[in-house]
Amino acid sequence: MPLIKNKNFHDDPFTRVADEAELPEGAVIVTLERLHKDAEQLMARAADLGVVIQADNIGKTQLGEDVRELAPYLEALSVIALEFPSFRNGRAYSSARILRDELKYKGEIRAIGDVAYDQWAYMARCGIDAFEVNQDVTLEQFNTAMAELSDAYQPAADTQNAIPWRR
Amino acid sequence: MYRYDEFDHKLVQDRVQQFRGQVMRRVKGEINEDAFKPLRLMNGLYLQLHAYMLRVAIPYGTLNSRQMDKLADIADKYDRGYGHFTTRQNIQYNWPKLEQVPDLLEELAEVEMHAIQTSGNCIRNVTADQYAGVIDGEVEDPRVISEIIRQWSTFHPEFSYLPRKFKIAVTAHENDRAAIRFHDIGIVCVTNDKGEKGYEVHVGGGLGRTPFIAKKLRDFVPAKQLLAYLEAVMRVYNQAGRRDNAYKARIKILVHELGQEEMTKRVEAEFAHIDKANVLTVPEKELARIAAYFAPPAYETLEAESAIFEQNLAEHADFARWVDTNIVAHKMPAYAIVNISLKPIGGIPGDASSTQMRAIADIARRYGLDEIRVTHEQNLVLPHVKKDDLKQIYDLLLAQDLATPNHGLISDQIACPGLDYCDLANARSIPLAQEISNRFADIDRQKNIGELKIKISGCINACGHHHVGHIGILGVDKKGTEFYQITLGGTSDETAAIGKITGAAFTEHEVVDAIETIVETYISLREGDERFLDTYRRVGIDPFKERLYASH
Repeated sequence: MPLIKNKNFHDDPFTRVADEAELPEGAVIVTLERLHKDAEQLMARAADLGVVIQADNIGKTQLGEDVRELAPYLEALSVIALEFPSFRNGRAYSSARILRDELKYKGEIRAIGDVAYDQWAYMARCGIDAFEVNQDVTLEQFNTAMAELSDAYQPAADTQNAIPWRR
Repeated sequence: MYRYDEFDHKLVQDRVQQFRGQVMRRVKGEINEDAFKPLRLMNGLYLQLHAYMLRVAIPYGTLNSRQMDKLADIADKYDRGYGHFTTRQNIQYNWPKLEQVPDLLEELAEVEMHAIQTSGNCIRNVTADQYAGVIDGEVEDPRVISEIIRQWSTFHPEFSYLPRKFKIAVTAHENDRAAIRFHDIGIVCVTNDKGEKGYEVHVGGGLGRTPFIAKKLRDFVPAKQLLAYLEAVMRVYNQAGRRDNAYKARIKILVHELGQEEMTKRVEAEFAHIDKANVLTVPEKELARIAAYFAPPAYETLEAESAIFEQNLAEHADFARWVDTNIVAHKMPAYAIVNISLKPIGGIPGDASSTQMRAIADIARRYGLDEIRVTHEQNLVLPHVKKDDLKQIYDLLLAQDLATPNHGLISDQIACPGLDYCDLANARSIPLAQEISNRFADIDRQKNIGELKIKISGCINACGHHHVGHIGILGVDKKGTEFYQITLGGTSDETAAIGKITGAAFTEHEVVDAIETIVETYISLREGDERFLDTYRRVGIDPFKERLYASH
């Protein structure tokens, strides 16, 4: 899947690793479960480390995983990938804000899953700065989508200088 | 009332163009209906039984004559010459064409209106007491904080794909006319013992298939911190609200499942994080700027007693009857609050023709300091008129069939669109409301019955608020036949209660007789000047059941 970051396509240096698979060389993204289990080993590696936070399939109420569980690992994490299982499921918008605003995470937050045109701008406002998009997305579309709303009424991860605060 | 500045205009224009792009992508087939649905919904556009339906926001139910004129123009140009005022203090058009909606939105933007977040799983249009600013005894005008909430919740990047829709209502009066205890968040403007302004916050109320009365999570949130507190509630909900089952996805279910104590704990923890960052503290200057828009208008200095008014009362019995039911005391003694009934006998609750809308706009311009309100009970209000002018206003309303003296009476019903329009409905609501209205057409009889609120929903989703009707009627489908279940004793005011089911449902031929039986039972049991609800609370449901099912 193409990855857009800083308004441009980027190669993804990370490999997503399944729980039972052996760790390959280089940067990896593991599950939260594996991170908990193999934290010491994973953090001892020289390569960059990432984690994926799943949004559903967790119990019958589909609450998804809790980003606050990442608190002890934040220093070691270069990428936190938030899963959007369907673009109707907006739970990860709050996960991104908790990471940025409360946990002060400064690394990459990547949106994965159903990540489409009409979500990008809101995702960016919540602190997501990398977007795994469909093959057919162009940079022009991406930049148009990001600019559709020229201003904001509320502070979020991207700005604290929203309209009511500058009037 | 609030006026847009350049920021508001720009964002609404941005949204119109954004929606135009979304419609274009849909028409070209670049996105399918599945992907388009949440986008159009977030802009108030539903696909109904026969056509698209567009819901236009009327924030906290306040509008001016120019806006009402525009709503009339839109009804003529894009609809079939009428609009439908809803329980969300909004207006709905039932027949717009998809390709025309962007143009329609552009016209709305000209008069500072939009359809933003009138549907979809986001924070919906904020509602408030329809007597805001004009009824005696308010702590402050609830529209000030409503407008602040409107702006904060508009295009909120974090809360636009919630588990389910989210509704906020505000009141500043001890008599709750905004049904705040049946909203996802209900806010009461209060002052604490130090005389500081703040807000009491109720969370997790709602109707639908599992009605709940909201739990009070906080007695007092200081005014400046309200947005931080609301954001905390929303974040807890967006993280922990269920997404596996649409019927369990509202915050009322979360509050119910967690319990009040755990919910409070989580909200307070989140609030502490958000409040510490201090970025959601509304600047004093902005609070003052918005409050200034809701400052009382320039009332004339007049004698409290109006000789003309008194004379008209004495000379015109029909006028006096209308005054008795439809006029409410204004905080300025020489002024009055006029309730315009959109419930003509045998009519469709909440419907207004473009001619009627223009007439109301004209009256507001000439006699009403240019202001109109929409109530959640699907009526309109002229919030500031001089008592001196009441007779002229009455005559003008009468000429448009808008002077039915039934405010708060049995024919002043709430009804959802029902099976005539809605693809969720199991049964018709509007024809039943019309039949009940016709059965009790005699205004003297209605006045003798007194305050009685009938609320009709065509299905379990409860858009007609049947759970909180003094008499609630719910349409159900049994093997392809429409039946109606009756509940008694519900109310959405400060004494919030959910109605109890009387028993087996009635056929459409039986249900109006059943209502009459309930009314006659009440008349036979009432003591002194008890209202229906008072008698019901004193005697309970049994005497009503006995009479209803005696012959079964």
